[in-house]
Amino acid sequence: MADLKANKPSRQMAIHHRSRGAQVSIYFGKMLRMFVYQNDWKVLPMAALVAGLVGMVIRNKIFVNMEGTLMGAFAIVCVCIWNGCFNSIQVICRERDVVKREHRSGMHISSYIVSHMLYQCLLCLAQTAITLYVTLIVGVKYPPDGLVTPFFILDFMISMFLITYASDMLSLWVSALAKNTTTAMTIMPFVLIFQLVFSGGMLSLPAWTETMTHFTISNPGLKVLAAQADTNHRPYATIASMVGKMRDSEIGGTFTVGQALDILQDAENPTIAEVRAKEIGKVMTLKELKSALDKSATFDAFRKEHVVEDFTVEDALRVLVDAKELESVISDSLGTTTASAIRDVLQTLLDSEEMQTFLQTKLLHTTTVGDVLDAIGTDDLIEKYGDTKVGGTFTIGEAVDALANNPDIQARRNQEITVRTSVGKVLDIVGEDKVKTFLEQKAAEVSYKADYECTVENIVGYWLDIFIFIIVFAALAIITLEFIDKDKR
Amino acid sequence: MNKIVQTLLLLEFEVSDFSLCALMALYLAGLWKLLVKSGLKGWWALIPGARDYQLACCAGREAEGRVYSVTGVAILLLNLIALYLNRGSDPESIEPVYGQYLLIIILNMTLSIIRFIYHVRVWSGMIEVYGVRKRWMLLCLTEYTIWIPALVWGWVKKYQPEWKVEDIHAEMARLATSGSATVMDEGLTVNLKERTVRQFFQKRILLRDIHMSIPLGHMVLLLGGSGSGKTTFLNAVNGYEKADAEVMLNSENLYTHYKKMQYEVGFVPQSELMRSKDTVLNTLLDAAKLRLPRGVSAKQRRERVDEVMDIFGLTRAKNHLVEKLSGGQKKRLSICMEFISNPSLFILDEPDSGLDGVLARELFEQLRKIADTGKIVIVITHTPDRVVDLFDDVIVLARDSARTGRLAFYGSIDEARKFFNQDSMEHIVKSVNTKADGGDGLADEFVLKFAEVQHG
Repeated sequence: MADLKANKPSRQMAIHHRSRGAQVSIYFGKMLRMFVYQNDWKVLPMAALVAGLVGMVIRNKIFVNMEGTLMGAFAIVCVCIWNGCFNSIQVICRERDVVKREHRSGMHISSYIVSHMLYQCLLCLAQTAITLYVTLIVGVKYPPDGLVTPFFILDFMISMFLITYASDMLSLWVSALAKNTTTAMTIMPFVLIFQLVFSGGMLSLPAWTETMTHFTISNPGLKVLAAQADTNHRPYATIASMVGKMRDSEIGGTFTVGQALDILQDAENPTIAEVRAKEIGKVMTLKELKSALDKSATFDAFRKEHVVEDFTVEDALRVLVDAKELESVISDSLGTTTASAIRDVLQTLLDSEEMQTFLQTKLLHTTTVGDVLDAIGTDDLIEKYGDTKVGGTFTIGEAVDALANNPDIQARRNQEITVRTSVGKVLDIVGEDKVKTFLEQKAAEVSYKADYECTVENIVGYWLDIFIFIIVFAALAIITLEFIDKDKR
Repeated sequence: MNKIVQTLLLLEFEVSDFSLCALMALYLAGLWKLLVKSGLKGWWALIPGARDYQLACCAGREAEGRVYSVTGVAILLLNLIALYLNRGSDPESIEPVYGQYLLIIILNMTLSIIRFIYHVRVWSGMIEVYGVRKRWMLLCLTEYTIWIPALVWGWVKKYQPEWKVEDIHAEMARLATSGSATVMDEGLTVNLKERTVRQFFQKRILLRDIHMSIPLGHMVLLLGGSGSGKTTFLNAVNGYEKADAEVMLNSENLYTHYKKMQYEVGFVPQSELMRSKDTVLNTLLDAAKLRLPRGVSAKQRRERVDEVMDIFGLTRAKNHLVEKLSGGQKKRLSICMEFISNPSLFILDEPDSGLDGVLARELFEQLRKIADTGKIVIVITHTPDRVVDLFDDVIVLARDSARTGRLAFYGSIDEARKFFNQDSMEHIVKSVNTKADGGDGLADEFVLKFAEVQHG
């Protein structure tokens, strides 16, 4: 006591006590002790647990495709905000009365908050490192190269740290505002919901609420992680996988012949162009044609169709010329060119002068198509013209163009046709992989956001945005706490 | 003009039916008279928000009145915003078409729930003030029936409030005293005119006309019933919560040189405000770093900490966590934290709370020793008689009928006994306590009597 008194300056001299900087070291040391004795250390295993759970969900999606990366980035932002908020939400309000007492004894509020900032900074760094390590363990595959630093993981860590720390400062401010821990924990859910809902990336917001996204840490947080993960240049997989799941779904509808032809003539569409380039048809003799028809069950059924009206052989042949079923059967078996060739042969018979007498022969009332064909003497004709070659090689595009230019078809452009099929059949015709790739590329183009472009300017800009949040919230915490009992003082 | 009135009424009362607006007009008429009966201006009834607060004042529920008033104004503003958004369309067809409306509806609903709770609290106060049966509360619950109690209590002469707001102003004028204490070269001189707080734009006087001079080496007992302003007085004396006062410690003004002199005053709060997860030694070392001048070396700080721990018997517990200490040890540690800077003025707010008689006696004996080293020690205690022999002087604060803390006595223990004609300190407190607190309600009498003795 005597020594102390000797050291005490006289009342006329200014007595200097600890400066703000020196007080920071006092409180920083105190907080480090509290980390051990109090429950502050529990935030570290909690961060590991949360990172593990989230990591298991996102490991196969993040850095793989666009929506998986965006979802993963959002999940990581949520983890960071969660960690940051729960680090400091109670730190001031739980010792508010102690702060008042110490403030009365000469403690500077700014020193107290700055010491908290330093302490929370260490805590956030540790949490970020733990989160990254745990996500690596559970199987999240981070890209190797960074944009700002040489390592991607270091870039990502800086972003995660800044988001965590900014959230930490936000809840430090809330803790300074709240009079007790109950109030702070009541405010907390609203802060979290506000941050997550108004992140501006995952949920589509009404236009009038978009300004609110400027007040959330999650907005620049999501942008920086999405930009670093190069979200824009990853394929959009959801639509493609949905198409695969829809294989059994029935599709179809009524459309006109003209619409169908227009689609088939769209050479700018790469898928259609590929189909148009496919070669079809083959050259064969009439004998080969007959042999093929004899094997066809459809043709056999067609032969058994009854012809019920009085008619001549010419009528029967004209029926055959116009019979779509026959043409369809031949087209299915041998291609449209062959069918066309047969039609030409029949037409030649009809036009032949020497066949006119025969053509005028009356047929019985009840007969079948087969009878008609036998009456015509198709076997003899095939014997006679059996070596005549019919058909030829051509592309689907040529066939389509020929059809489209045909005056009869032109006249039928407005004729409606009804198609019923399944997604799977269409995918098989066009090629499922090609459709998926096409959809992924197109969806990614549509989903492109300049905010998510992986550039140094973007990333550093977002880091600065988050840093401004840190400074603002810390300043608000100081200002708020400076007003502690201000009305009384 | 009619349209404006109608719009205002619709906004104010959130009703779409004009007949209900007529009921609200009746409510306002009743409220006007209620305010007048309590000594307030009737026209407050016409001002949204303000009328709620004034009503709460009439009910003796000022704190609730603030929330009641603010929520009322907030709801009114929300309705105005809704009207603005709906401008140009039929006012009766405000539909939640837009997000803004939804937000307004959600906020309105939240505020309405809060307002309803405070509405119940305020009108419960009115029921007490008018001394009517509690079943009246049923009529106070809805806006369709609230006009009935307002009109009946306001206009029927039979219903009169038990006390009036205006009475306080009259009482304050009646109990006003004057004078001042002479500043001592060595010691503490307090000349406190007023200690006020602003609550909701209204000035409230907590303490008034307290003048005294306490010489060095005196240990002073501070007595007073609950609400008499003991803690407020001590906060004003130590300079943390400033009053309209002049507080001189050893000829230096504590208020004007607060930054320099704050270490000369040690204030031990009522509860042990320490971090429970820190050790005794670290708590005191940090306190020493914070409170001792910069020039004191680490070695000297450690010696001072050891010395203080030795004085208050905490050496053996120095490595214990604060939360593991007994109640008495915590009290002593709390005192050590302030005593470490060796203050000239040492103020303790109920240091013996939670201690048994023996421990309390030991603690006060320790404080006596501190006073004997030339310090001024001021102590609040609710069990003064077991340690009264250790004190030199006693300060008696009392809550007068204007609900303000006043000085009822300052002097030696024996003089106090004679002044109050009581043989124990506890009886002195009882004599100045209000009848509502189980006392004799003689505060006004002793306040005026002491003012006469002190200042002539």
